[in-house]
Amino acid sequence: MSTLLTVQEMLMAEFDLKIDQVAPGSKLAELGIDSLATLEFLFKLEEKFALDLNSDPTPVETVGDIAAEVDRMLSLKVAETS
Amino acid sequence: MKRVVVTGIGVTSPLGCDPEGFFANLVAGRSGIRKLDAPWAVNAHAGTVEVDLDVHFPKVRRIGMDRISMLALLAARQAQAASGLAIDDANAERTGLYWGTGMGGAGTLEGAYQDLLVRKAARLKPSTIVSVMTNAATGQIGIEFGIRGPACTYSSACSSSAVAIGEAFRAIRFGVVDRALTGGAEALLTEGVVKAWESLGTLARPDPARPETSCRPFAADRSGFLLAEGAVVLVLEEESMARGRGANILAEISGYGNTNDASHITQPDASGQARAMRLALAEAGVAPQSIDHINAHGTGTKAGDISETNAIRQVFGGHAGRIPISATKALHGHLMGATGALEFVATVLALRNAVAPPTAHLWNPDPECDLDYVPHEARPLARAEWAVSNSFGFGGNNAVLVARRYHL
Repeated sequence: MSTLLTVQEMLMAEFDLKIDQVAPGSKLAELGIDSLATLEFLFKLEEKFALDLNSDPTPVETVGDIAAEVDRMLSLKVAETS
Repeated sequence: MKRVVVTGIGVTSPLGCDPEGFFANLVAGRSGIRKLDAPWAVNAHAGTVEVDLDVHFPKVRRIGMDRISMLALLAARQAQAASGLAIDDANAERTGLYWGTGMGGAGTLEGAYQDLLVRKAARLKPSTIVSVMTNAATGQIGIEFGIRGPACTYSSACSSSAVAIGEAFRAIRFGVVDRALTGGAEALLTEGVVKAWESLGTLARPDPARPETSCRPFAADRSGFLLAEGAVVLVLEEESMARGRGANILAEISGYGNTNDASHITQPDASGQARAMRLALAEAGVAPQSIDHINAHGTGTKAGDISETNAIRQVFGGHAGRIPISATKALHGHLMGATGALEFVATVLALRNAVAPPTAHLWNPDPECDLDYVPHEARPLARAEWAVSNSFGFGGNNAVLVARRYHL
């Protein structure tokens, strides 16, 4: 499963959102996900993907930004371990 | 000095989630005490609020909100809607928020400790602090309603929300603000908090056959109170402004007394309680013999009920025995930081309906508590002009409010 799909499924489960609300371009603020809710969600992503997103945070505004950030950190992790 | 009136009430309580339903259940003598539905609660009974919070708060709105904030917001929405008050750019800075709570987000705090110490979590949820802090509900109400004046949170145990109402009253009376949302909330029915209360020895000994009757204020067989949760919000306004916008005025607040016993952290002191009553009556400009009804603090503890009886005698003298006194905690439980506000609502509605709610479960009178406690059944009030609501808290704080039927 792609990172984007996983992020979308987690967003729908965590915040009771519909599939059409979590399109890659959907802005988190417009979904009612404020900075605190974003932080809570990033914690869940860290557990899911075994990452440490806080160590090098990149501002995220959209659903797609979150998936891209996870992919970026995953690639860094692969680079570190290879 | 300005007059202060009540123009809206909201209630999330063990006796219902609207003020009229709450008061109707109280007058009918129905109990809001239920068996706690939790794995750790073997035989614990408490006043629980029966409301489906999922219906009112979507998941995305619940981040950073403990149960206490959600109960508070539900009450605030009711009160604001009932008052018809619009808070907008023109009046937001002259609108205050005066709030009372004992513990804040107790459930979230206990959950965090369980995560950390039992489940060995490496870290806690980022929203833990803002859910737990005692002004969490204050902040959430301010945000939802756009209140930009003073926002004060009082924590004085069982008198917290009576203090909040009294301070809101004073702020309007002295022209600091023109209107306020005030009241309080409590949501502390967690394993740790309930066990701590059990250890203190002030909770009622459960009656095995009729557990909902275990709290028996002013009775010879009383043994303490039952914990409860809930939230109460009142909209207070400066009288001429309320009248000017055509508000439905429910009652006037005319006096507030606040004293400290300075004697013992749990033992009540009749003289401190009496001083608070005298101060409230003096500010209201009413003679003791004109008081038609008292909502007692009436927790059902051995020492507390005798102390309050003595304090009422000290203040009202020969008139004390003629005042119908209601101890409503027997039916709705002890809402701690929210209880003063709930009982003040009961007091206001007693005046409006000219009926004193019953003191339930008073089958065995105590010779040391020899006033008229309106046992068993509600009673019409022959005169319903002035009423007093008493709230006394651990730590030694006493807060007394005087309500008056509204006249132009």
